[in-house]
Amino acid sequence: MLWGSVFGLYLATQALAYASTYKTPAARASLVREFGSNTGIAAIVGPARDIGTVAGFTVWKCLAVLAILGAVWGLLAGTRLLRGEEDAGRWELLLAGQTNRRRAAAQGLAGLAAGLAALWAITALITVVVGRSSKVNISAGGALFLAVAAVAGAAMFLAVGALASQLAATRRQAAAYAGAVLGVSYALRMVADSGTGLAWLRWASPLGWVEELQPLTASKPLAIVPIVGLTIVLGGLAVHLAGTRDLGASTLPDRASAEPHTRLLFGPLGFVIRLVRPTLVGWGIGIGAMALLLGFVAKSAGIAMTSSPSLRQVLSRLGARGNGATAYLGVAFLIIAALVAFIAAGQISATRAEEADGRLDQLLVRPLSRTAWLTQRLLVAAVALLAGGLLAGVLTWIGAAVQHSGVDFPTLVNAGLNVVPPSLCILGIGAFMIGVWPRAASIATYGVLAWSFLVALVGSIVGLNHWLLDTSLFHQMASAPAVPANWTTGMALATVGATGAILGGIAFKRRDLTGA
Amino acid sequence: MGTTAIRTEGLSKRYGTVDVLSSLNLEVGQGEVVGYLGPNGAGKTTTIRLLLGLIQPTMGRAEIFGFDCHRQPVDAHRRLAYVAGEASLWPSLTGAETLHLLGRVQGRLDPAYRDELIGRFDLDPSKKVRAYSKGNRQKLILIAALMCRSELLLLDEPTSGLDPLMEQAFRHCVYEARDRGQTVFLSSHILSEVEALCDRVGILRDGMLVEMGTLAEMRHLSALTVEATFDGSVPDLSRVPGVRSIEVEGQVVRCQVQGTVEPLLKVLAASGVHELLSREPSLEELFLAHYGASSETETPSTHAS
Repeated sequence: MLWGSVFGLYLATQALAYASTYKTPAARASLVREFGSNTGIAAIVGPARDIGTVAGFTVWKCLAVLAILGAVWGLLAGTRLLRGEEDAGRWELLLAGQTNRRRAAAQGLAGLAAGLAALWAITALITVVVGRSSKVNISAGGALFLAVAAVAGAAMFLAVGALASQLAATRRQAAAYAGAVLGVSYALRMVADSGTGLAWLRWASPLGWVEELQPLTASKPLAIVPIVGLTIVLGGLAVHLAGTRDLGASTLPDRASAEPHTRLLFGPLGFVIRLVRPTLVGWGIGIGAMALLLGFVAKSAGIAMTSSPSLRQVLSRLGARGNGATAYLGVAFLIIAALVAFIAAGQISATRAEEADGRLDQLLVRPLSRTAWLTQRLLVAAVALLAGGLLAGVLTWIGAAVQHSGVDFPTLVNAGLNVVPPSLCILGIGAFMIGVWPRAASIATYGVLAWSFLVALVGSIVGLNHWLLDTSLFHQMASAPAVPANWTTGMALATVGATGAILGGIAFKRRDLTGA
Repeated sequence: MGTTAIRTEGLSKRYGTVDVLSSLNLEVGQGEVVGYLGPNGAGKTTTIRLLLGLIQPTMGRAEIFGFDCHRQPVDAHRRLAYVAGEASLWPSLTGAETLHLLGRVQGRLDPAYRDELIGRFDLDPSKKVRAYSKGNRQKLILIAALMCRSELLLLDEPTSGLDPLMEQAFRHCVYEARDRGQTVFLSSHILSEVEALCDRVGILRDGMLVEMGTLAEMRHLSALTVEATFDGSVPDLSRVPGVRSIEVEGQVVRCQVQGTVEPLLKVLAASGVHELLSREPSLEELFLAHYGASSETETPSTHAS
């Protein structure tokens, strides 16, 4: 329900915002000039087609974002139902009844399909309603097809998640496999759309198929064939494998024994590092790859951007200066900021899970205070955020330097560090929630992140009410490297985070430990 | 201080409108082995989590070796070890890594004793926690608690999931702990385990401590079961003071005797008794008597504490 509303409303706001911002044909024409052949932007959200129309613009702005959001939802939902339940031992109860593993997996998938149908229905409903508005004017049939395209990513990655759940031995592992598939899909799509003559690569990526649907602009219903095919094949394979493996076992070989590695197990702090290391390495690779790509396309994207007058206006509104590449990166670093913030939210979620699953008891019944434990968790997370920001800055510089973009190293390192304060703020909000309302900590933290990202993303293209914009943590952040990093705001955000963490820590010390 | 391991005063915990634990007064001396009995939901785990400072009391206070469980948890925890009935551990660590970590966090690590315990409980420490069965995970947290030889062992249904052989190994460890002068607080609903191990027993019912004493004391307060076989006619025992629950089966009479047996013996001696058996109540009978599962609960004197 929630996701459906987010999907539908996102499509709707984009369509309406465009219709009201670019009212005249002239304004639209200039938009086409600016973005129509901008490979840098295309690399991030896909190529712009017919963006002189409301429909074309909506598709361009939304589809890539929704495909990724949907894919993330799909892989999380798929692995949670088909592996998380098994890890928690609830699947066992179900299988003790009159069913078998294959049928249970099929029923689980059917349930997910129903959820997907609901997602589609809500998205379609909102799109159809908004489409009837004379300003937007999208036909009902077009709206339904747009909704199909919007949930296609979710469908495929539900199936990917279901299959990964059968291959891996734990939910975390399954989610990591599925996440890697998503990462590769995105990277392939990105390369295909960055104008390097490798456009055919789009057909190698599930996310590329979603793009090829080209709803509203040049609808290619044929592209739905691989989408449906992949979903059915992977789903079927998952059901088949569920029947052939043992409960709790994996299809891929899993090492049940290992040599003890106690180097990091010298105490609680080392242990936190050991626990979060695999996750953080994964994020590091993701952020690093993204930063490298952004740096690589920055020059060409920047040239396109600065050659358009109205876009220069937008940039000057943001206070941008410098050459085209920095201006482009100033906007594109929003993605880096969101990725780094995802680390923060993930760490809050993992911290809470230690308590919810009862593992924390094992530490806190020993001479380790709650304050010390929480401080160490947050400290490791904060260092990870800092490292993520730095890594992004350095790798963007490497990517940009290869293309001789003329952006210097200190500027980009500053831009990388600039994304850290909003993440620290999110980390602090999460810590506060862990103290006062632990069961809502994870969802609240991800909620703040998603809200901040969507508002800032919409706000970067069209004018939004400044009160609304101010609710986005990413909007508070200066658009470095387009403008110099604003360390005063940065300090303020970090201080809000620190205050939240301290209050949360005090509350955490005084409350009962609570399970899931 | 020094001689009291656990002391609680009016310790209470309320969730919403439900009193999970009401005004618990408990004192456990150093070196004692105390059993803590009660059916599911009686408040055993709540008591132990309060003692550990994992949850905060609604009212009252608790101390471990004189340290307030709520305000000085770290000092209290330095002197205790805890075993939960269900082991939540990190699935990616191996058994050896888990023991290493928990030993380091405890601050005391005796590798030789740890390895001895691993041998005794027959655990393969090279396996990852997610590959262990429930019983093996339970062994792991038992070893983790026992290996640091803490002054106080707080055990919350520690043998759930263990096979009889391992249960025996566990009992052996508790005997050893007692001989070393460690204090043991054992929450359980396995009565034979408590009967075999504990000097004193507390019985908890609906969050209230209804009985606390040594098994001998509790038996003394309780009825004695007497079975007599007569040569001739069976006498009427219903008028004899202290005798109740009389069952007659042919020549055999079974009854319960509260207090002194002298009046009964006089009657029996006068009626030509052929065979006489008497038996103390088992802990199970004591326990059931407190939960109304047996019919012999009418006598209020068994509830004296």
